Amino acid sequence: MSGPSRVATAVLATVVIACGKSPRPSGGAAQVATPEAVVMSTVTLFFPGDDGLLEREPREIADLPESGPARIRVILAELLAGSQNGRAPVLPWTATIHAAFVDRTGNAYVDLSAPPAGTVEGTATETALVYAIVQSVVANCQGVERVQLLFDGTEVTSLGHLDLSRPLVPRPELVAP
Amino acid sequence: MRRLLTLLAVLAIALLARGVLAETILTPQGPAEVFSRGGQFDLAEVLRLTGAEVQFAAAAGSYSAVLGQREVQFTPGGTLAVVDGRLTALPTPVRLVDGRPLGTAATAEALLSALGWTLRQGARGWEVAALGGGERLQVSVVRDAGGTLIVVRGTAQEPRVILTPGQVGLLFAAPVALAEPIRPDGELTGGELNGPLLTLRLKDGVAVSSSYALPDPPRYVVRLGGEAQAAVVPLAPARRAGPLVVLDPGHGGEDQGAKGPASELEKSITLAVARATAARLQAAGVTARLTREGDDGVSLGNRTALANQLQADAFVSIHANAYRGKAVRGAETYYMSVDASDADAAAAAAAENVDAAPDTVQLILWDMAHVANLNASARLARSIQERFNELQGIKDRGIRQAPFVVLTGATMPAALVEIGFLSNPADARRLTSATGQEELAGVLAEAVLAFLRSREPAAEAGR
Repeated sequence: MSGPSRVATAVLATVVIACGKSPRPSGGAAQVATPEAVVMSTVTLFFPGDDGLLEREPREIADLPESGPARIRVILAELLAGSQNGRAPVLPWTATIHAAFVDRTGNAYVDLSAPPAGTVEGTATETALVYAIVQSVVANCQGVERVQLLFDGTEVTSLGHLDLSRPLVPRPELVAP
Repeated sequence: MRRLLTLLAVLAIALLARGVLAETILTPQGPAEVFSRGGQFDLAEVLRLTGAEVQFAAAAGSYSAVLGQREVQFTPGGTLAVVDGRLTALPTPVRLVDGRPLGTAATAEALLSALGWTLRQGARGWEVAALGGGERLQVSVVRDAGGTLIVVRGTAQEPRVILTPGQVGLLFAAPVALAEPIRPDGELTGGELNGPLLTLRLKDGVAVSSSYALPDPPRYVVRLGGEAQAAVVPLAPARRAGPLVVLDPGHGGEDQGAKGPASELEKSITLAVARATAARLQAAGVTARLTREGDDGVSLGNRTALANQLQADAFVSIHANAYRGKAVRGAETYYMSVDASDADAAAAAAAENVDAAPDTVQLILWDMAHVANLNASARLARSIQERFNELQGIKDRGIRQAPFVVLTGATMPAALVEIGFLSNPADARRLTSATGQEELAGVLAEAVLAFLRSREPAAEAGR
């Protein structure tokens, strides 16, 4: 299946799932707010290191959704918020997360605001930023095996070098030992 | 019920968004249905409306349409086509969608015109028609003081002349018809029309001295005389005597690539190194072609398409790197990355698609051919990286795999070399100096030559 078709199918599947799980009104019964304990989860994020390889960084996140697009969005938000250990930002531009969705075959789609022209220079920069996202999403979202980056809602062939027209699998050799 | 209606509505919207249509195109044989999506046509189906034989050639990664003696090749993902051996640009890229080569009407028209046909939209909708229809040729023999001429009247076309011993072929761009049979007359012993090819048979010992078009009335003249030519002018390009390497200077045009400390541009550095490398390869007897000769913007797909269409022995993409940490330096070489799942999927698809359309099977075989090139690509990458490591002061960043666009489409051993970091002061000095660039080119040429020498004899014999 081609890239656009995959995306269309993924969107369709996501919409269908969302339709099927739409919560119904509770029938007017009063909801009583009860204090709940905050559940902390530990995830592993990947940031570009000094030598071009990705460095692991554990992160405690409160009330992390168990799965699905909501979990991906939280992971991405933490990643784009930056390193707490002084490592370089993942993206060399201020990006917005437009959307995240998952299809039934283990592909996650991440839609970000597009980089301004000339922002991403060099394969080392491009490889680090793309695989920081791929590694972080796959490592922390069960069932996700591949990640495709979209920019401003559309597929792109490349940011200059890497083939982004289809979902990418993690590349462990890009992670520092 | 509400969920069912929602599902149906979503499906309807999805189908509309995909714009799946069967477009009706009028042909001389009547209306025909052609797959169309989002205003783009299945180019293979459109070309077949002319009676052309259309196939996907796995070795070249290209579609080939043959009609009579005319042939046009085009590559999914690119905007290049080869018309009778000549490279030409298409108006818009050919996209591969669900195993179909899709293109705009303008691209379909460009491909059709290469076969002597046209696609136009009239009052009755889309129509495919032969160009120059109605041209009826009259062949006669005229003698003047200078000798004998064969005059072909009834056309303003300037055909391609094909000389073979004992006959001359006139290949017209558009289909033509004979107004009357060719009558033997002196040096002209006969002839016939086969599609767009008019063949004129000549008496033993008679040769063609020149040929040219004349206006008022439009006609084409073949002047006879001189000794018979033994040489055959083939339709197909001559086979290469030696290896051919395509060098790809990264970036170009508006895409400047990375910038050095004094705003030196990656696109200029890669071009300089590619030119110097090509010169060294040529001196060693290897034909070297560049994907861009100057500061031109060339799409990633077209860079690989050129190498595929030339059936190059090796493809090397040259880049200069950049990173935020200025301490990062060194050279690294990449070759194609194929996920294990890709190879498995291709093999499974081949097994499941024994009844699939020939194009589909060929596409799968093409994917598998990419996988088969992995070992040779790894050897090419190793040859490059090992020689860069011998350069004084260079840091070995190793051989790596990554799904770079220019590598994934190549149907020959292919590598992408990062010849240093423009963001590192020491590397930048080497990259931006003329002596440094010559040094890098020398190493790269040596690496490519070593790779070519290391190939198995079977690879040479198969050429």
